[in-house]
Amino acid sequence: MAALALGSLPQTRNRPSRPSSLETAIFREIAAEVGLNFRHFNGATGQRYMPEIMGAGVALFDYDNDGDLDVYLIQGSTLEENKKTHLPPGWKPGNRLFRNELSETGKLKFTDVTERAGVGLTGYGMGVAVGDYDNDGFQDLYVTNFGHNFLYHNNGDGTFTDVTAEAGVDDIRWSTSAAWLDYDRDGYLDLFVANYVDFTVKGNKRCYAPTGELDYCTPKIYRAMPSRLFRNLGNGKFVDVTESSGIGASYGPALGVVCADFNGDGWTDIYVANDTAANRLWLNQGDGTFKEAALEAGAAYSADGLPKAGMGVSAEDVDNRGIEDILVTNLTGEGATFFRNDGKATFDDNTPQYGLARPTFGFTGFGTKWFDYDNDGWLDLFIANGAVTLRESLRAIPHPYHQRNKLFHNEGEGKGFRETTNIAGPIFDIPQVSRGAAFGDIDNDGAIDVVVTNNNGPVWLLHNQTGARRHWLEVRLEGVKSNRFGIGARVAVLRDGQKPLWRWVHTDSSYLSANDVRVHFGLGERLEIQGVLVHWPDGSEEYWENIQPDRIIALRQGSGRTR
Amino acid sequence: MNLVLDFPAEAYHRIWRMRLRSFLTLAAALCAGCWSLAATTPPLPDLPKLNMANTLPAVRGQVERAYLAARAHPRDAEANGKLGMVLDAYEQFESAAVCYRRAHLLDPAASRWLYYLGWVEAARGKYEDAVGALRAALQIDPGYLPAQLKLAETLLVAGNWEEGSVIYEAIIKDHPDSATAVYGLGRVHAARGDDKAAAESFQKACEFFPAYGASHYALALLYRKFGDTPKAQEHLILSEQNKTTVPPVDDPLRDAVRELNQGPLAHIRRGTLLEQAGKTQEAIAEHEKALEVDPRHVQAHINLISLYGRLRQFEKAEEHYRAAVGLDPDRADAHYNYGVLLFEQGKYREADQAFRKAVEINPFYAEAHNNLGSLLEQQGRLVEALEQYRQAVQNQPEYRLAHFHLGRILVNQNNYDDAIQHFLKTLTPEDENTPRYLYALAAAYARSGDREKALKFARKAREQAAARGQTRLLTTIEKDIRALEQEGAHH
Repeated sequence: MAALALGSLPQTRNRPSRPSSLETAIFREIAAEVGLNFRHFNGATGQRYMPEIMGAGVALFDYDNDGDLDVYLIQGSTLEENKKTHLPPGWKPGNRLFRNELSETGKLKFTDVTERAGVGLTGYGMGVAVGDYDNDGFQDLYVTNFGHNFLYHNNGDGTFTDVTAEAGVDDIRWSTSAAWLDYDRDGYLDLFVANYVDFTVKGNKRCYAPTGELDYCTPKIYRAMPSRLFRNLGNGKFVDVTESSGIGASYGPALGVVCADFNGDGWTDIYVANDTAANRLWLNQGDGTFKEAALEAGAAYSADGLPKAGMGVSAEDVDNRGIEDILVTNLTGEGATFFRNDGKATFDDNTPQYGLARPTFGFTGFGTKWFDYDNDGWLDLFIANGAVTLRESLRAIPHPYHQRNKLFHNEGEGKGFRETTNIAGPIFDIPQVSRGAAFGDIDNDGAIDVVVTNNNGPVWLLHNQTGARRHWLEVRLEGVKSNRFGIGARVAVLRDGQKPLWRWVHTDSSYLSANDVRVHFGLGERLEIQGVLVHWPDGSEEYWENIQPDRIIALRQGSGRTR
Repeated sequence: MNLVLDFPAEAYHRIWRMRLRSFLTLAAALCAGCWSLAATTPPLPDLPKLNMANTLPAVRGQVERAYLAARAHPRDAEANGKLGMVLDAYEQFESAAVCYRRAHLLDPAASRWLYYLGWVEAARGKYEDAVGALRAALQIDPGYLPAQLKLAETLLVAGNWEEGSVIYEAIIKDHPDSATAVYGLGRVHAARGDDKAAAESFQKACEFFPAYGASHYALALLYRKFGDTPKAQEHLILSEQNKTTVPPVDDPLRDAVRELNQGPLAHIRRGTLLEQAGKTQEAIAEHEKALEVDPRHVQAHINLISLYGRLRQFEKAEEHYRAAVGLDPDRADAHYNYGVLLFEQGKYREADQAFRKAVEINPFYAEAHNNLGSLLEQQGRLVEALEQYRQAVQNQPEYRLAHFHLGRILVNQNNYDDAIQHFLKTLTPEDENTPRYLYALAAAYARSGDREKALKFARKAREQAAARGQTRLLTTIEKDIRALEQEGAHH
């Protein structure tokens, strides 16, 4: 039997139990209750500056390696220094880091550690990406802004250092989402930075609703800015390979990014959701270059051949076929687009077939991810919504962009999705201008929770109340030859008589946000696990047996056996 | 301002022509879903509460007049429906739906209020309501093709392709050459997984309407699935060329709504389309109309700088530049357009200032950087010009003209390797500039001593110049090719 590498991560405390009441809501909003007090401020002065309506993101990551997820929230600011804006009561400028002080009994409590950590950046924040770029075992932060971007190195002692200049990863343009990936399989995480449009505060264009009211502009009014790819040299420095890799050859106003191996060739590809332009699929050629293939692949447009306003993006194995499909959230009147992958990066728009066209049509979607909220082994879907142009019925209120968030249940075996918003919890009845969404098991109970950011509104922590009633497994990888957290690895849970469940390790996707790096498996009612198989990003493969469910395990590269 | 609130008589004639054509077929297809808003005679909903405080005065006035008429005649279907149409024209779909519902309840025999209701409900994503209203409209008036198409499309988008298919098939029976219906049926086949039938439908739709972008796209994806890459590629190119082009549908009812939109945006939109069609005078007229509605509309002024400049009416163009910067001094595109205008008049110093102003406001403005580069190059300030061109390509990596300029300067500085890299970026996509770019690349290779590549690209340049009838360039290229060949013979 191969050595089983069970790490020192806290084991589960909450054993699966039967539902106490069938009426229990799936999620309960508990942010203020557990000390996660944060309110986004967009600095709006009435000029309708475009960045005001676009932010901001959130990261779920364990910055102090104490085994639970901490929360990093991105803050806005004022865009015009001299303009007076109404600050929310108790508002603190700058991004905030909240440390999770999860108790042994599973009680959540967050403490603001921003000042000590040194990550209270006060720019006009947009998004955040999480990855351990120097493989020191502590996850680092890349923060995107309207303005300069920042790379914060995690020192491992609860503090961070701004290393942007020495790393060479700044970008002064309006950056949105970013993603860490090891595109050249050298064991070091590289960085993709999505850039949006050439908006400047001084050059703000006044745009109007059809009725003539001042409103936020469509990105078509501005020019798209090229996104960038930085290659990690492994010595703390990066080199801009946008041009040499081919990534610079084609671009649109980029908002969402997700990296995965879409054609199954073992190399990580990049998918970019563009706002009002064709989405891009960069297929990794394995030689340091990428080929743009979205149009041929059928992933550039929806079935009608038209571009939509791509915002957020998720890529996961929706039908448990071992293949990553893609979901892109779009504008009100367009609906989300579900691109089903045949495994060779050939996609079909199957949105209506999967029941997602009708319920998403009237909503502007941003943060999104497929995740298994009820641990039945099938990935469900959350979409954070909020308009970008004024809503007719809300015209009389100051920030008339509110919409309800949505939850969908995967009915399994290609049966598509059923909307479960109405049973998701009371918070789903409250419309907000939701933007970022980060997903992860925040109290280590085996159920995936969601942190949602609201533009000019409070952060929400949607605590999953029901998922842990079924069996589960969470896996944290520790790369040795591959990057330290195994980003880009594919992990499978093998079970007798059942199809393997494939998940992949990543922190990207959604919108402006970073997710828990651990992979989560809902196992349904069955306890037995035959083994766990890992395909590491360096191409190697390992297998572990004797894995028990309902716990978090750590698998170190080299400690498993070859199958 | 004249408001087009009355439904034009000529429109009625067109509707009746359509009605008679397909009355019988659709009646059968609709029976299953018989539905009428008036069947249970619900109470008349209240007129919507409109908050138009911040809207444009011209729009507000138009809405207010319609609103007052509906309030004065609350039981008059026409007055209620017309308020709905005005609101609909300005995309106030929620309020428009209420008005259409009232109009329908007041006049259940009229199909048009139901059609409008179905249309705005579909726009709101209220598919069940949209389908119900459209079915009811077609029960009254089964022959109205746009309503038939809208119903089928709504069913399809809502994922109800089986019922959508019934409607499409009925339409095709009466209108066998309806590209829209044939395409719709193709989408039904595709949703059912019948790729062969889907491909046949899409092919047919493309034959009926060769510029049907969506149908070419759908066909391309199917050919890709069938493994026929060349055909997939061919249709992808056609879909990109005709991305937003759809077969025209004669819909006098919706035309009547569209005509009610007298806002500046509608005029600018029409003006932009006219400009794209090369109709500069008509485009100007639309923009001037936009300014009649809203004299403070900066974008209309900015577009007019360029439009009048194109007609070499520099005074008018200047007038609109002054108006634009008077309203908003920080519009980079106003300064850019003005810079181009000055450049065309040979006023290079002033043009330089205008482009500098543009990049000061928007440092990422690639075209302004490029034009500044050209002006600096004219003055022999090559180092500064080079920097401006670099800024241009940094912010717009596919900017061929800026790469070309960069390449030229670098060749003159004997930096052939970098120059070649920039020239290589000018080669796609191909257009009338391609022969010139290929020739520049050939020259760079020749000066770097790579005669073989120089000849290769010079011959390509010759081929492209000949194909495009660029005779002067062709003569120069041929002369250089002869020189290169002779040089080769000497070696």
